[in-house]
Amino acid sequence: MKPLDPKLLRFAAPARRYVALTAALGALTAALIVVQALVLAHVVAPVVGHQAGLAESRRLLGWLAVIFAARIVLTWAQERFGQRAGVDLVADLRSQVVARSVALGPRWLAEGRGPEVVTLATRGLDDLQPYVTRYLPQLLLAATVTPASLLVVLRLDWLAALIITVTLPLVPLFMILVGRLTQGRTERRLAVMGRLGSQVLDLLAGIPTLRALHREHGPERRVRELGEAYRRSTMGTLRVAFLSGFVLELLTTLSVAMVAVAVGLRLVSGDLDLTTGLAVLILAPEVYQPIRQIGTHFHASADGIAAANSAFEVLDVPLPSVPRTPAPVMTGGSVRVTGLSVAAPGRRVTAPSDLSVDLRSGEVTALVGPNGSGKTTAVMALLGLVTPDAGSIELIAAPAAGVERHPLPTAIPLHAVDPATWWSQVTWLPQRPWLAPGTIASNVGLEPGELISPGIVRAAQLTGLDDVVASQPQGWHTAVGQGGVGLSVGQRQRVALTRALVAPGALVVLD
Amino acid sequence: MRDRALPRALRLLGVSWSRAARAVFFGFLALGSAVALGGVSAWLIARASQMPPVLTLSVAVVAVRAFGISRAVFRYVERLASHDVALRGMSALRSRLYERLSQGRLDAVAPLRRGDLLARVGADVDHVGDVVVRSIIPAAVSACVSAATVVAMMALLPEAGGFLAVGLLLAGVAGPWLTARGAARTEEDSAQARSDVSALALDLVDHAAEQSVAGRAPQSLSALREADDLWRASTDAGARNTAWGAALGMAGLAVAVLGALWCGIPAVSSGRLSDVGLAVVVLTPLAAFESTLVLPAAAAQWHRSQQAARRLMALWDATEPEQDTFAPDAVPGSASRLGSRPAVAGADLVPAEESDMILSTSGLVAGWTAGRPVTGLPDLRLHSGDSVMLTGASGAGKTTILATLAGILAPASGAVLTASRPILTTEDAHVFHTTVLENLRVARGAVTPAEAREALDVVGLTPWLSALPAGLDTMLGPEGSTVSGGERRRLLIARALVSRAGILLIDEPAEHLDVETADALVADLLRLPQLPLTVSQVRVVIVASHHLGAARFADQVIDVRPWKPEPPVED
Repeated sequence: MKPLDPKLLRFAAPARRYVALTAALGALTAALIVVQALVLAHVVAPVVGHQAGLAESRRLLGWLAVIFAARIVLTWAQERFGQRAGVDLVADLRSQVVARSVALGPRWLAEGRGPEVVTLATRGLDDLQPYVTRYLPQLLLAATVTPASLLVVLRLDWLAALIITVTLPLVPLFMILVGRLTQGRTERRLAVMGRLGSQVLDLLAGIPTLRALHREHGPERRVRELGEAYRRSTMGTLRVAFLSGFVLELLTTLSVAMVAVAVGLRLVSGDLDLTTGLAVLILAPEVYQPIRQIGTHFHASADGIAAANSAFEVLDVPLPSVPRTPAPVMTGGSVRVTGLSVAAPGRRVTAPSDLSVDLRSGEVTALVGPNGSGKTTAVMALLGLVTPDAGSIELIAAPAAGVERHPLPTAIPLHAVDPATWWSQVTWLPQRPWLAPGTIASNVGLEPGELISPGIVRAAQLTGLDDVVASQPQGWHTAVGQGGVGLSVGQRQRVALTRALVAPGALVVLD
Repeated sequence: MRDRALPRALRLLGVSWSRAARAVFFGFLALGSAVALGGVSAWLIARASQMPPVLTLSVAVVAVRAFGISRAVFRYVERLASHDVALRGMSALRSRLYERLSQGRLDAVAPLRRGDLLARVGADVDHVGDVVVRSIIPAAVSACVSAATVVAMMALLPEAGGFLAVGLLLAGVAGPWLTARGAARTEEDSAQARSDVSALALDLVDHAAEQSVAGRAPQSLSALREADDLWRASTDAGARNTAWGAALGMAGLAVAVLGALWCGIPAVSSGRLSDVGLAVVVLTPLAAFESTLVLPAAAAQWHRSQQAARRLMALWDATEPEQDTFAPDAVPGSASRLGSRPAVAGADLVPAEESDMILSTSGLVAGWTAGRPVTGLPDLRLHSGDSVMLTGASGAGKTTILATLAGILAPASGAVLTASRPILTTEDAHVFHTTVLENLRVARGAVTPAEAREALDVVGLTPWLSALPAGLDTMLGPEGSTVSGGERRRLLIARALVSRAGILLIDEPAEHLDVETADALVADLLRLPQLPLTVSQVRVVIVASHHLGAARFADQVIDVRPWKPEPPVED
């Protein structure tokens, strides 16, 4: 797991801008922190040494106020742009993931990636927000404030710099070491915790059943016992898991204390002046601060990184190349299916198996067969949404007018034509039809304000949509939301069927 | 009312205040160590610069080192203590929620069978518990440490302490308040946009093929982008608040440090403050503001937990227990009057007329909510060996009748008289995530393996059982996912059999089975009362099903129809 994946910058333009901005803000913050420490030391030291009063300190105090004002602005800007970038990035990646999965087609979605894409597209990517607004800025501060402060400390006092340089690498080292040592134990505990937690939920889900058996009073004790076991198990995990936090705190605080003592002892022996000593003392905690914050936000960011990685996996799937040949004009033409076989994913079945059929102009062809025999898959193959494992589908144009005696109309294999030009000639009514957000009228192809044509009324009578319209208080203007909210499945099918009858393509497919 | 949700939920947590106080105490020691480290090391360095004998510094040197260690140690102890408090609370909340739901209104509990709702209840309990660890205890620790630091600084120089107090209030109260308001505002403003975005994205992914073929995909994608833009715009006002909240944190530090210098420098000149004291007064605030760092997150957590508490309390209130359901102390085996509402006309006690009567009803009308009857039932007089089949269109009220006969639902009017408690097996009954045997023991704790095998044999599951890897000890998956539909139904009936109930009510045992299997199963069930007592204790069976193929095995077939004011007609 990379803390900052280069793919994030490659795929998401908002991330590029934001990382650049945050890096700039981080560099400015680093400069201000260093200057602030130096100014503060220069104000305090002469007063402690009775060499200056308020009058002499006024100019430096003014500068200090300016520095603080600048840091307030920087903090505001970081938070303001951080919040915005988090939302931008999530929105950007979501659009990309959805667009890519639509382009990859239903077969790819059906191969087990569908639910994951749905989760990503609806709420999974939201986990990226804390990563962007909290974790990334600290990561960039660790890359700017930590080295800048350390360099200044090195110039001021080599001993303090040495202490910091030695302890700094120990932080990640020990955290990795503790993590490795406790990983197995933590994972085992987590599994136990997951099981205990799901058992309580299982009992909650079973309440109606327990009530029906008059046994709802028994498990109360069981729920309490499970809760107690869950607590003990979790505490066991936490005792181990918090060790890495302990190491982080111990190393960062103890090294600041060591720096303070070392500086103090050198001051007593006169090797150092107070201004330098104070500056080092103020800067030492700043070196560690971003690292501690990274530790604090680490877990929140892990979910975000995981979500981003799933998004990148989707975006990394190469798109199949789209042929440029347009489909022939199919009005009056025909489709020839020869020996079509498709292996069903996940099942050791071929459905359809060796299907041959000629779909000729002016004819109605019925595909019949029991459940699972491949009727829908055959339709998908016919639409070019599924690639056949064997056999061929060819589009045969109508003989052009005037050349009716042309001996052999040319047959173009379906996989060689641009699907968009083929789809534009097809009307497809799937089992679970989709309705565009709008009204019933807009879904049967009416523009806003357009009157219901006799053709639509006839089609609606045929499909029974007229009854549906009559039963709705808003009639044709009944709003249908995403997924046809407000209408039953049967009513949705009638709307979609009417739409298919009103504006049929050269090929009408009713599944 | 809504805003009382979190305090109410917190009361249900039953947090032990002495344990919480212990966690706050350790947190105080941890953060106090950090502030003390800052103050003492400032003193050490300022004093050292005056080159006193080294021995006079030894106490400070030891203290600095000790604070360097104690901070991490106390923080570790505090984290464990506060998590312990929260986990105890979450455990108590889960138990209370279970107790409440197990006695509450069934229609409010039933939706929990949906996996996502159930998971949300689980997550909501966790969120309410989190408020202790991430919000209440950190805020208390921060308040204690801040107060102590202010008092210490006031002892050195009252004005400096005053500036520190103002700064800490800015960073620790005003800032987090703005942050929380920002979070709440963002959520309020963007709720609609967010749900639009989700719905559009879901629609596109679910219907990708159809939209591509219909040429609508580009249009839908641009609609999604537009919705994303709206979402972005709607989060803006809240983000502005959050940004100001963060800026206030830095402003607080500025007020404290500049204020300490402003009044400290003249105080040194006038002798009110020692020279070394100035270093302490100026540098201690740098460490003191660490205690306010966690507060914006604490405020945001409070807001999140509040929403979780609202959902939980809404569930809690929706499951207001029915007062007049089956009395828990009713003795099985003796005739008992099931809950009737005396307020409803015609609900007088029906005496047992015959000694071998197992179940009888009079003028029974059933419904889920008072005043809205779903259906009625002709009067039943069932004796040992009787079987009844309820038929009727879906939604006619078959399930409602069975739930009323089982005593889970109080009759809207009329009365039910039974010789023993009926057991209801519904089509969607829960298969628990445990072993086959334990799933049967759900009905009666003392079921022996032999009894379990017998019951599974009666429902024709012996071949299935012998194919299981660990027999009766095989774990069944969550939601019974490792069991096929037909096996699941038979398992549920076996569970009803081992309960040794005399009256069995079975709802739609054959749903989604093919016709032959369904008819065979329903016929088997209807013949259960005729089996010898050694095989099955079932004396009366009532099956609701629309598989009429097995109807000839029933002694009585009743067509259930939706409620109309006139009394229902018997076929």
